[in-house]
Amino acid sequence: MAFEYEKYLRMDKIPHLWCPGCGIGVVLKAMLRAVENMGWNKDDVAFVSGIGCTSRAPGYIDCNTLHTTHGRALAFATGIKLARPAKHVVIFSGDGDATAIGGNHFIHACRRNINMTLVVVNNNTYGMTGGQHSPTTPIGYKTSTTVYGNIDPTFDICMLARGAGASYVARATVNKGKQLEKYITKGFEHNGFSVIVATANCHTQFGRKNKMGDPISARKWIADREIPLEKAREMKAEELKDRVITGEFITEEPEKTRWDNYNHPVHEYTEAYQTIRDKAQEKK
Amino acid sequence: MSEKINIPDHYRRWEADIKIGKKDDHVTIGYWRDGCKGCGICVDVCPKKVWEIIEAKDKWNGQVVQVTDASKCIKCMLCEIHCPDFCIKIY
Ligand SMILES: Cc1ncc(C[n+]2csc(CCOP(=O)(O)OP(=O)(O)O)c2C)c(N)n1
Ligand code: SF4
Ligand code: SF4
Ligand code: SF4
Ligand SMILES: [Mg+2]
Repeated sequence: MAFEYEKYLRMDKIPHLWCPGCGIGVVLKAMLRAVENMGWNKDDVAFVSGIGCTSRAPGYIDCNTLHTTHGRALAFATGIKLARPAKHVVIFSGDGDATAIGGNHFIHACRRNINMTLVVVNNNTYGMTGGQHSPTTPIGYKTSTTVYGNIDPTFDICMLARGAGASYVARATVNKGKQLEKYITKGFEHNGFSVIVATANCHTQFGRKNKMGDPISARKWIADREIPLEKAREMKAEELKDRVITGEFITEEPEKTRWDNYNHPVHEYTEAYQTIRDKAQEKK
Repeated sequence: MSEKINIPDHYRRWEADIKIGKKDDHVTIGYWRDGCKGCGICVDVCPKKVWEIIEAKDKWNGQVVQVTDASKCIKCMLCEIHCPDFCIKIY
């Protein structure tokens, strides 16, 4: 049965400004279905974003929304969550917003393990400003700032989130709208900082410079590189070069006994913050 | 089918009696032409070739889509889920 997106949209702002076939719309839709899955009251949700094509999304959503400054969405969101811990705070960021200018906020939001959900639309470029290379542009690919091909190694946003302390981490692509919806829903359900990476096409800026200037071939480029985590686990590192690993990297119960989790996650931040509030009030 | 069909009046509609496996079913496809940007994703993701691209002189990229034959639809929802522009409703 059809989904009634109208319920969650500011319809007077639709059609949105994204290019025909842009992946961001597909991710936004998955996120709205996830909100419906949770049965949240619209007044109890805040959508926060920074700057970029991706960050335009909250402008279309009929909930509490905040369009902030480039890279700083997580800082604003943290403020909202600490002031109103019972509200659901969702952040929508681009790869540039979350891992370049906002990289510092990103690792520290992960480290705090604060109960919010970050959806990163990774289109491997700065779409809005003319297709410059980002920390996720693969090696060898052309952008407006890497005209002979990129030489900068990439961040794997899921590994970065995991290493920094996020307690739910998953990735799916725009070719699998249902999988995206499932992971975002699980991120919403999770008590702690959750990061869902949506690998998306920006054919207009990134695609055009790499022989995939239309949405179909740009989506296919992603599909051809997609590989589920279960399969990737059996493969050698060199076979996984340039691939997009999809799946859940950390779930509800992190494998606590694994040696590389010795530092993870200590507590959820708003709960820890409440203990400080309580102590401060006891003193009075 | 008892489900309520909620397709706004300004949507184009196609309907057909279909079979899903051995079960009799009915499909109503709603399409919002004004919102459609002619990206072709619905055409690409549909496993049954229900959609096709057609010329549209009033659109900046010169194309929109239409349903060729609603009776081929298997209600997989892929077109609805992957249209980035909220233009398709499958009931
Ligand atoms: C402080 C600051 N620096 C730079 C910019 C210019 N700027 C706007 S959007 C953007 C990059 C956006 O890239 P990303 O977050 O990946 O979003 P996308 O457009 O790809 O969705 C930049 C550098 C800005 N708006 N503010
Ligand atoms: S420039 Fe790229 S990211 Fe921005 S709307 Fe167009 S396709 Fe999407
Ligand atoms: S629901 Fe599936 S079969 Fe029917 S038109 Fe859409 S993509 Fe094609
Ligand atoms: S996917 Fe949506 S916007 Fe793209 S051609 Fe089909 S109906 Fe139009
Ligand atoms: Mg980007």
